[in-house]
Amino acid sequence: MRSLKELSAAAAAGLKRVLANPDVAEAEVFVSQNGTLLTRLNYTSHIPSNGVEEPKSTANLGIGIRVVFKGDRRLSGFGSESSDISADAVDEALRKARQGAVADPDFISLPDPAASRPTLSSYHDERLMNVAAGDLVDAGWKTVEGALDVFESSEELLGLAGGDRSRLPGLGLILGGDVTMLQERMAIASSRMPKPQSDESTLVMSFITAMVEAQSAKGGGCVVGTNLETDFSLAGRQAARGAIASVGGKRVKTGQYDVVLGPQAVTDIFHNLIVPGLSLELVYAGATPFAGKFGQKVAVPGFNVYDDGAAPGLAASKRITCEGLPTGRTDLIKGGVLVGLLANDYEHQRILRDPNARQKLGVDPREHIAALAPRNGFRFGRGGGRHFDSPPGVSATNLVIESDSGESSADLIRKVRNGLYIGRIWYTYPVNGFSTGDFTCTVIGDSFVIRDGKLAEPIRPNTVRINHNTHKVLNNVLGVTESRQGTVLWAADQIVYAPEVAVRGVSVSEIAGYMDATS
Amino acid sequence: MPAKVDIEYLDKARAIARDVVMSYGAGKPFMKECDVRVEVGVGKGAMAENGSVKRAGEDYGFAIGVHALAGDGALASGYVGKQLGTADVGRFDSELKQAIDAAHARAMASARSKQRVRSRFSALGGSLESLDWAPVRVDQKTIPAQFKIDPGSVSLEKVQGATLDSCKLIAGLDKSVVYSVVGASTSLIRELFVSSEGIDIDFTYAQTEAIALIVASGPNGNLEFYDSLGHQRGWEVIESGVNSGPIRELSLLDFARKLGKDTVETCAAPLMKTTDGPVTVVVDPHFAALIAHEIIGHPSELDRALKYETAYAGRSWFLKQPGDDMRGKQIASPLLTAFSDPTIEGFGHFLYDHEGTPARRVFHIRNGVYEEFVNNRQTAALFGVEPNGSCRATDASFVPLIRMTNTTIAPGKDDPAAIVKEVDDGYYISGHRIPSIAESRENFRISAMKVYQIKNGQLGQLYRDGGIISDTRDFFMSIDAMGSDWQLFPVPNCGKGQPMQAKRMSNGGPTFRARAVVTGASR
Repeated sequence: MRSLKELSAAAAAGLKRVLANPDVAEAEVFVSQNGTLLTRLNYTSHIPSNGVEEPKSTANLGIGIRVVFKGDRRLSGFGSESSDISADAVDEALRKARQGAVADPDFISLPDPAASRPTLSSYHDERLMNVAAGDLVDAGWKTVEGALDVFESSEELLGLAGGDRSRLPGLGLILGGDVTMLQERMAIASSRMPKPQSDESTLVMSFITAMVEAQSAKGGGCVVGTNLETDFSLAGRQAARGAIASVGGKRVKTGQYDVVLGPQAVTDIFHNLIVPGLSLELVYAGATPFAGKFGQKVAVPGFNVYDDGAAPGLAASKRITCEGLPTGRTDLIKGGVLVGLLANDYEHQRILRDPNARQKLGVDPREHIAALAPRNGFRFGRGGGRHFDSPPGVSATNLVIESDSGESSADLIRKVRNGLYIGRIWYTYPVNGFSTGDFTCTVIGDSFVIRDGKLAEPIRPNTVRINHNTHKVLNNVLGVTESRQGTVLWAADQIVYAPEVAVRGVSVSEIAGYMDATS
Repeated sequence: MPAKVDIEYLDKARAIARDVVMSYGAGKPFMKECDVRVEVGVGKGAMAENGSVKRAGEDYGFAIGVHALAGDGALASGYVGKQLGTADVGRFDSELKQAIDAAHARAMASARSKQRVRSRFSALGGSLESLDWAPVRVDQKTIPAQFKIDPGSVSLEKVQGATLDSCKLIAGLDKSVVYSVVGASTSLIRELFVSSEGIDIDFTYAQTEAIALIVASGPNGNLEFYDSLGHQRGWEVIESGVNSGPIRELSLLDFARKLGKDTVETCAAPLMKTTDGPVTVVVDPHFAALIAHEIIGHPSELDRALKYETAYAGRSWFLKQPGDDMRGKQIASPLLTAFSDPTIEGFGHFLYDHEGTPARRVFHIRNGVYEEFVNNRQTAALFGVEPNGSCRATDASFVPLIRMTNTTIAPGKDDPAAIVKEVDDGYYISGHRIPSIAESRENFRISAMKVYQIKNGQLGQLYRDGGIISDTRDFFMSIDAMGSDWQLFPVPNCGKGQPMQAKRMSNGGPTFRARAVVTGASR
């Protein structure tokens, strides 16, 4: 990979070159190089399989330029060039920006320097920038081996196989998921922040599902980290143990239940339903369940949600945004009240001048400037990386969910007393649109009946559908655990540090009874 | 700056890729199969929001993907994908060689580990096998693009103007419209596939599409509708729409007008209330398209069925394990036939897939009996069937996956008007919105744009926030009328894979009648 010094030099030289054009009023040059190393896993004991299915990588390098042109219409444009950060690439990107420039009435200026300074330094593992083919493959196989160790040594599984080890494969043991390593380097310079700034980040994560398919038992595991020492086998072990613990699952009847949502279920609800609605983009469009609710109660007292891209030690932390602004903490829900929104600089500036802003937010944004600060302008995409070929959007980083009065998991389960523990949900979508808060999903694993304040029998995966509403979830929280787990989801950019959350009166329906007869 | 990367550049790249694969890739130690994909796309697009153009641009994409199947003793695959640029033109052969080196190294490392792990786990290592690719016919073909108005001939100003006019039209429809965005693009894309077996496919196609999102405000809160149009044709798709066989698309202006009116009308409607149990429902072709996609197409992907997608997109209730699947079994009403066919025109059209396999029609369900999965060369070999040409990537830098193509419910013989007229008491489900499908696709909930009550054969009250929910098999078996009004619709964003690949395809069906619970609002 190119060094940060090279990227910074390219950003500085590029800016100088663009600003030398007499028709250019403002410019920003973003240079990045990304690598995504991913080993996809597929082990099946009852079907021939590869174990490590796809050891692969995608890589890109390039330059992206935002330009504001002089003139009455104040045209602005974006252009990029791939695989080159030389003067030629700058010229080509500028040509494209000029060609596509438009008069956007909502564009005010490129970002001004922030009052604060970036706080993170040396927060990544440089060794991850030079991972060899063998390291990538080994990481995948370690995860497979972690799960197979658990499966092959399990007394429960041996019992199900009638004490005959040769019959273990017939239980239909499945392991799927991936080990992913992200390598990100970027540099940025602009006419408003001419001194090049750079950032280098790494992220490793593993997201694993295991099954004992003959028993319709499923478990999940995940590991996130920022260094090469991350033990990927933990995710495989966790998933395999979860699958074994789910053997013997039972159906539950249609009804309303008090539930404890496990970290993955909480993450799924926040990622798919709540975080999008906490973005200033969707608030501007009126496509959020939080329209007009800024400063109002949106959750139970004591419930807090914040995004912190500068938190030391958290996996999705970055030093600066893809707009060259410092990352930081944005409180979103504090004490149950909506107090902040995720923004990039464009959305931040736009809402301050939007004549309908008071209606959209419920308050005058000019009185809440810090709560709408542009700390989340990123160019994420393609499963990882900070991409030069698109302007910044709005993305969460480390999303932390907590309560003023965290409890233990055991206390939470005792509090629910009789209900359901929902560990893993799936296809959680805002079925009637984001603005309504209505959602549905199915329960796919790591779930149990709660009886007399204790976890009882597992819930059979894929037999329960939840039909509910996010407002009802947030306003019926019974309790939150003090401990949180860094959780990743398929195709998610952010890491959610999710606790277990108990919720009163969740509507669930029994589904797919016919599958019992066919499996 | 070196020579510009454009569609024609691939004439040179094709010769280089052929040479590198045959002379360099095939000669690597223990290389069983090596293939290279190269892709160049050149296009332009614009986006207008609330009556102003917000973004416009004209650019190219250039990417390569390399696959190596190699190993000493055991076989394994390795992959490399890379975004390239004009600067790589002069070093294209060395880029390909480096990618082949890396893919080969990964394959060899994985093959070695497979043997080690197979030996280490005495009870569970036995299923770790050398999975070879099924052979396919070795073809060399050049397939040109079809269009009336060359995407390259359309000015960027024209693209901007089309989005702006449509966006303004929506914004001016009614004061309840609070937000609108319209995007459009037109491109020419050329894909090469060359392999060490001698396959050499050169496929060029046009791709023109548009999307609109509208938010309206009403007595029951805001309502967001979005939809897309698109086809593998030129700019004529935007200007005039398409009227060809089952593809009947409006021009962008008419599409925007219709979607805007639907949003405004539905936003003012009362909330649907969930029915107590299954009722008679008639679904229109647009809604049928999402049923074809979610509960027929996806579970018919053999990688899901063989558990590859357990952690991501899920499994399939059509297959428990090899030897125990639904092939040959009645899983639906005899009125239901469904197929995937990339050889017909549509957003999912191609004649060879990204493994070089010739494409063909695959019947998933014929007269209610399950028949065939879509597959790739590895799963076909594993499953003991012929590859059917269904493996594609979103661009050359991604690994190809088993994908739907033009996947549709086949038309029946019933008059669609009569299908409604025969209903005394039921609901008409019009326009798909958002799906939520159970993990093996055994149950589904899909919301609709509009739900009308049917009373005595007539459409009555319109409701918002409705949809249907059902166990899949019950729904399939309850179908008692299948219309003759077959339509195919573009689906621009089907997500699958890790990292997620959003792929274009077509889905469709006719009006049909079945039984399901009609869902309503949960607030």
